Amino acid sequence: MSRVRTDYEKTLWRKIVRFVNGEKDLFDEQSGFNVETEELEDRRHRNFFEEAELNKKKVQIAELIEERSEETEQRAVKLYERFYRLFAVITCVAIIAILLVTVANLPDYGDPDNPANNEVSKKYIEDGIKDTGAVNIVAGMILDYRAFDTLGESHVLFIAAVCVMILLKIDPDSEKGKRFISLENDRAYEPKNDPILVWATGILVPIIIVFGIYVILNGHLSPGGGFSGGAIIGAGLILYLNAFGFKKTERFFTQKTFSVVSVSALLFYSISKTYAFFTGANGIHNIISKGTAGDIISAGLILPLNICVGAVVACTMYSFYGMFRKGGL
Amino acid sequence: MINAFTFVLLGFLIICAISTCFCKNFLTSVIIFMSYSIIMSILWMVLESPDLAITEAAVGAGVTSLLFFVTLKKIHSMNDKNNEDNKAPMDEKEKDRSADM
Amino acid sequence: MIREIISAILFILGALIYITAVFGVYKFKYVLNRMHAAALGDTLGLLLAVSGGIVYYGFQFVSLKLVLILVFLWITSPVAGHFLAKLEYTTDPEAEGKEFVSVSLKELEKEEKQND
Repeated sequence: MSRVRTDYEKTLWRKIVRFVNGEKDLFDEQSGFNVETEELEDRRHRNFFEEAELNKKKVQIAELIEERSEETEQRAVKLYERFYRLFAVITCVAIIAILLVTVANLPDYGDPDNPANNEVSKKYIEDGIKDTGAVNIVAGMILDYRAFDTLGESHVLFIAAVCVMILLKIDPDSEKGKRFISLENDRAYEPKNDPILVWATGILVPIIIVFGIYVILNGHLSPGGGFSGGAIIGAGLILYLNAFGFKKTERFFTQKTFSVVSVSALLFYSISKTYAFFTGANGIHNIISKGTAGDIISAGLILPLNICVGAVVACTMYSFYGMFRKGGL
Repeated sequence: MINAFTFVLLGFLIICAISTCFCKNFLTSVIIFMSYSIIMSILWMVLESPDLAITEAAVGAGVTSLLFFVTLKKIHSMNDKNNEDNKAPMDEKEKDRSADM
Repeated sequence: MIREIISAILFILGALIYITAVFGVYKFKYVLNRMHAAALGDTLGLLLAVSGGIVYYGFQFVSLKLVLILVFLWITSPVAGHFLAKLEYTTDPEAEGKEFVSVSLKELEKEEKQND
């Protein structure tokens, strides 16, 4: 039999909800002075002459309430801190215990009877080169069999860069933006046109960027690929920016470059992968030729897709840094 | 299979992970996190996945810690708490210099 | 056989230099002293250890990679040390030789303004 309750506002759950929302102090009610003050308020209308005395009493009561509430507050804070630590320790120990038990029950490393060694990985390893044309099976997997996942990852990176731009972009033309830029200028103690850094950067940055391009272009032949190569190129650009300042980098990398490069890379990725899906996916005869495995220009769509992913990642890394530093590119 | 070198690396990994949590200074914990990433990338190399090793070294040790440094600088959290009295004259100087620029 | 012995000696010397560097970093109190100790390990210890590897492998492709590692780390770590020292000088009000540095910084600023 269900019982209809009319006093929802007085239930414990509602109290907790109001306490969490900050509408009411949970410990105010326990002091017990609120009711009395209300009664005093009522009586005040009855007798004009008692008012002065009542006021005095009210002040006393208010002081008392303050003392009491401060005491209770402090006690509550102490209690809360103690419980917080206790629960933190309990949660940590529980999670560690669960993880350790799981690790102890894992199959041995490198055991051929592992459940991971099923027909899926066998197919990837045996037919990988024939299906995708890529010597590096990992690249063949993430950019051919599961290219849709990688598309989502690149979009996630792009969306993250756009979100950072929305949050941190400062409009340099507005009055507020000018004030922000003058206040937020944190380059006071930065190396600027330092000869040693300029010399070292002049030697290192071309090599870093060439290495990144090598990692991207060789993604289907050797370890590496779009993401790692893009991150290396982004790090090289950040080093260049630190050595020469924003004035020099704005000659070749502005906001427009960022939007053009990443949007066109993502568009090319989406369109070419959709085309490949429709004209022949896994196992069906594909229009795009695979070439001979082991050549630089081979493996069908994997090379251009690697270049796209690398461009998106490099632009995103560099724009993150520019946004965090200056609030613009 | 798992040799002594791997065990040493795993021990360093656990030490780095714990001391990242327990550092009072943000800057120190970011630097320890950087060394965590480098040890992790060597471990990926030991586990025969060089793709992940390259990515971990470039992203985890390079770009992520750079972004952490910039954020710490933006929120003025680079200094120690004991060093706070040092901070006020620095800020004034910064403002002067930024006004010049 | 002789080659292996030479490479082992080089490796041990490099490790000793590294241990000295770590000991110095913990022992010294002042920033520039500690940096000096760390830079010693970064350059001399690395040179000894990597040359041990080169002697061990002989004329091979791996040796070329090791030489490249040596070159890049020799370029980057002194630059990083230079910047740490410069930062220490510019931000620490009680650094030794402060007057000289502040004068040279002002000159640098003037040059920068002229450049801009």
